[in-house]
Amino acid sequence: MTHQFDKSRFSRNDDSAVENAIRRGATRRDLLRMLAAGGVVAATAGTFIGSAQNAVAQTPKRGGALRVALNSTSTADTLDPVRASAQGDYMRMSTFYNKLTVLDNSFTPQMELAESFDTKDAKVWTIKLKTGVTFHNGKTMDSADVVYSLSRHVDPKLTSRANALAKAMIKIEAVDKNTVRIELDQPNADLPAILGTYHFVIIPDGTTEFTKAVGTGPYMTEVFEPGIRTVGKRNPNYFKSDAAFVDSIEMFGIPDENARVNALLSGDIHIGASMDARSAPLVKANPNLRLMVAPGGSYTNLNIRMDMEPGSKKDFIDGVRSLINRDAINRAVLRGFGEPHNDQPIQRASRYFNAEVVPPSFDPERAKHHFEKAGLIGVGIPLICSEAAKASPDMAMVLQQDAAKIGVKIDVQRMPADGYWSNQWIKAPFHFGNINARPTADILFSLLYKSDAAWNESRFVNPKFDQMLLEARGSLDEAQRKQIYGEMQAMVARDAATIIPAYIASADAMSTKVGGLNPHPLGMLQGYNIADTVWLDA
Amino acid sequence: MNKRILEMIGGRLAVAILSLFLVSLAVFFITELLPGDTAQELLGQAVTTEAAAQLRETLGLDRPAILRYFEWVFGLLTGDLGYSHVSDRPVASLVAERLPNSLTLAAITMAITIPLALGLGIFAAIWKGSIFDRAISSVAIMLVSFPEFMIATLLVMWLSVYLQWLPALSFIPATADFRTIVLAFIMPVSVLVFGSCSQMIRLSRAAIADAMATPYVEMAMLKGASRSRMVLRHALPNSVAPIVNSVALSMSGLLGGVIIVETVFNYPGLAKLMVDGVTTRDMPLIQTCSMIFCGFYLVLITAADIIAILSNPRLR
Amino acid sequence: MTVSAAPRRKLRFQIRPIAAICLAVVLFWAAVALFAPLLVHYPVGDMVSYDYFGPMSKEYWLGTDYLGRDIYSRLIVGARYTIGIAFVGLILAALIGVTLGLLAAAFGGVFDTILSRAIDTFVGIPNLLLALVIVAGGGSSIPILIGAITIIFFPGCYRFTRSMAVNVNALDFISVARARGEGNFYVMIHEILPNIVGPIMADLGLRFVHIILLLSGLSFLGLGVQPPNADWGAMVRENMIGISYGSPAVVVPSLALASLALAINLLIDNLPQRIRDQLE
Repeated sequence: MTHQFDKSRFSRNDDSAVENAIRRGATRRDLLRMLAAGGVVAATAGTFIGSAQNAVAQTPKRGGALRVALNSTSTADTLDPVRASAQGDYMRMSTFYNKLTVLDNSFTPQMELAESFDTKDAKVWTIKLKTGVTFHNGKTMDSADVVYSLSRHVDPKLTSRANALAKAMIKIEAVDKNTVRIELDQPNADLPAILGTYHFVIIPDGTTEFTKAVGTGPYMTEVFEPGIRTVGKRNPNYFKSDAAFVDSIEMFGIPDENARVNALLSGDIHIGASMDARSAPLVKANPNLRLMVAPGGSYTNLNIRMDMEPGSKKDFIDGVRSLINRDAINRAVLRGFGEPHNDQPIQRASRYFNAEVVPPSFDPERAKHHFEKAGLIGVGIPLICSEAAKASPDMAMVLQQDAAKIGVKIDVQRMPADGYWSNQWIKAPFHFGNINARPTADILFSLLYKSDAAWNESRFVNPKFDQMLLEARGSLDEAQRKQIYGEMQAMVARDAATIIPAYIASADAMSTKVGGLNPHPLGMLQGYNIADTVWLDA
Repeated sequence: MNKRILEMIGGRLAVAILSLFLVSLAVFFITELLPGDTAQELLGQAVTTEAAAQLRETLGLDRPAILRYFEWVFGLLTGDLGYSHVSDRPVASLVAERLPNSLTLAAITMAITIPLALGLGIFAAIWKGSIFDRAISSVAIMLVSFPEFMIATLLVMWLSVYLQWLPALSFIPATADFRTIVLAFIMPVSVLVFGSCSQMIRLSRAAIADAMATPYVEMAMLKGASRSRMVLRHALPNSVAPIVNSVALSMSGLLGGVIIVETVFNYPGLAKLMVDGVTTRDMPLIQTCSMIFCGFYLVLITAADIIAILSNPRLR
Repeated sequence: MTVSAAPRRKLRFQIRPIAAICLAVVLFWAAVALFAPLLVHYPVGDMVSYDYFGPMSKEYWLGTDYLGRDIYSRLIVGARYTIGIAFVGLILAALIGVTLGLLAAAFGGVFDTILSRAIDTFVGIPNLLLALVIVAGGGSSIPILIGAITIIFFPGCYRFTRSMAVNVNALDFISVARARGEGNFYVMIHEILPNIVGPIMADLGLRFVHIILLLSGLSFLGLGVQPPNADWGAMVRENMIGISYGSPAVVVPSLALASLALAINLLIDNLPQRIRDQLE
């Protein structure tokens, strides 16, 4: 065991121990000592203390009916974990169900339904479950439920959206009533983190009907109408005592930004998710509202297929790299709701982020030189964008204008959001994509940059990179992982033609009556997970 | 006479059913032409060739299109609207959640718009050239010249955010009392009335003014008949055909064409259901919604044609 | 209804003041559209300022939009696209719709029934599906956009024309004309059309407005004017958040749209008598 797993041993109970200590008036140094005794390294301990102090600042109140407006909803809304794919689905997952682990603000897995994860080789894992947890229907949760829940994501017939991650679990079996053993195809030190992602919630063994959610979660389904609304009422038998404060949570989608802001200003809703930077001044100007900005979330990237014209010309890629004005994108397009990024997918909040990777500076002269060498001056170059990839038409505009100044003609083609992911994304030679935050470096690199990855956006092929990916995945040595991931970030930034100008922050606006929420690097609404902690000051 | 009208109505009904069938066929093949299918759209970014193929098999989309179409048609004939591929629920239940909402909104809007617009149009024609006429004509055009989403947003900003009189969202809980319901409907109905009124005001005015310009009416006016009498007695009956046609056309969009109102006021209706269906290529859902919209349109225009024929002695 | 009716009135020279003002507004926008490239201050897509939703100023006459672009320049170029596309689309839709409507009324019978039902079927296909399949099949270019507008708008013109024409077709003077031995085409053009041209023009005026508004919707489906250019409706839409700040970015294009719409419609309202007299 390395300290990586000591950290994952740090459970919610410890979290409340810290909170209690703060209430008793412990100093920061006392707390660090206490955490160190528990085996947590100081660097991450800082973040725990930060969040715990926030939580104590105001004591949670119980009661109230919370109304939350998300930014999308459709008939595809679901309660079925294998079908979950929209932000609203992730919210429903965390409201009605629990997972084995939950990811904290530094993507470190904390125990939820699991008591502990143990492994010797990162290949075979033994998971002990908490006891005495019951489902909404009264059944007690045990290992059979966990095996069933996880196996559904592996079964190709069910086409789980998490299948790409889940299929590494080649054997999932119950050892006894409270123990599950999972065998992976290859060693993967991140299993506790993977099982803390949205889809891997635990449902009762044999569930096939999802008109109502039967989980162990903080709320029970009262109403579920896909494309209209979801209402949950508090689970009186919830296994966490210091959680689930409001009586009911109602969620629905208001896709129109103005309507969402206005509903908040008029007091029709308590929380409006995902606000544009341009609505922020309205929220800030209202004394009854506040804004919660989470720096991570997602990124919109400019992809060049290296196996197609004009991306097969290295000079074209280098030209675009020098021509993308990261500063203008952050200032004019994202309006400060983003942070400049360096052409690789690991976000700053990650402990593996390599700050030494520096993106090329904005240099139209050098860009012109490259475009001239590629013979692309004055030739119309189609650039595909869509509202589907957040802010991409605006980013395209920035690039188009800068290109025009050096005589490069970019034909911006705004495509329908409808069908964008299946028809344009990855397929077009020069296009925008959008990737949501993922909790581990391994997931990001495996999904997006491995030579044979289905979502390899620029068709980046590098056998050495694939080799390093496997090496880091199986390693339980934190220092070694950091070093390998650091090198991989440099490789991607240099050799893959996926330009990531910025990570886009997500901002949620809410009434000052709403408490218990903190920014999370996974994205909006505390990483789509508010049900446990949110409370209302009626 | 009555027999002829009955025959005609029967004929129109038969043709309407044929139209519905043709529309369903057209909609089906247009949807087939759209790039991407339910499997791809559902998987979104998670789409891979194998996953899409597997999902297609699970949903039964791997069978030939024509087979699926006829299955749907036969289902429809037996009253079965099929299963939504996307939400894994019967289409009937999805429609049942929303159809009453859409019909309520359309009915209230029609009940206000038709008398209001026709009344204003007729008075504008009677007092043609007066200040009233000019004001009505200008206001009608102004209302339709601003985008619907802008009018809706301005109303919300004024009545909900600034004055705090009305709820910004029009979703009506099942337990709502009468006052709540009325308050919730004020803004969406107003926006729809603004949008559909102007066309009817202008056309009824133009049609009547036109009828007033016929030599027959001009002659009667020279003989001293009053203008309002001529409008009501002669011009109006002669203008029924274009007026009812315009009413039918303006109203036919009230089910499927109110996506902006449904979105801004978060009102769960059929327009949004249709858009969801198209976005996810959910064929049974698209088909059912199209049939409802088209049926509504056919009912309205058939009614308009019948009224037109009844009103014109020469056409009878 | 004789050919000699026209010269009796001097209407050609009696232009009402309101019509004159409206004509001036329409001509103003037409001139703006025509000479757009000479009038702009900045390239239409250029982000001239980091101040989004900036106020009106000496440098930026009408303020800046959500990306810090000059509204004045965008409005000028937008006039070109808005008026041009809506106008051509309207003419095409009207040509097809009115012609078919007249044909249906003049020939009547089975021809009328088949045509009317076919067009009803066409109307039954939701616009959203049509627009999407058009983008998928033909991509997004201005001619395709105009084609889409024509397809979406001609059935309305058809139904309206037909309903008016059928009414007129039943009048005595048409029977007289037919008794004289005039053919269907003669009756259509010389007898029916002049009698319904007023309401049709009034109808087209409103349709023009509807087309402009539809443009903004289509541009969000990906079927529209492509960046960096934008039509007025799309300008209103992309800057909608600015409405809460009272930004000129929303107000200006809306007012431009409303002024044009009002002018065109009031102009039509004040013209029909003259046109009728000329046509007779």
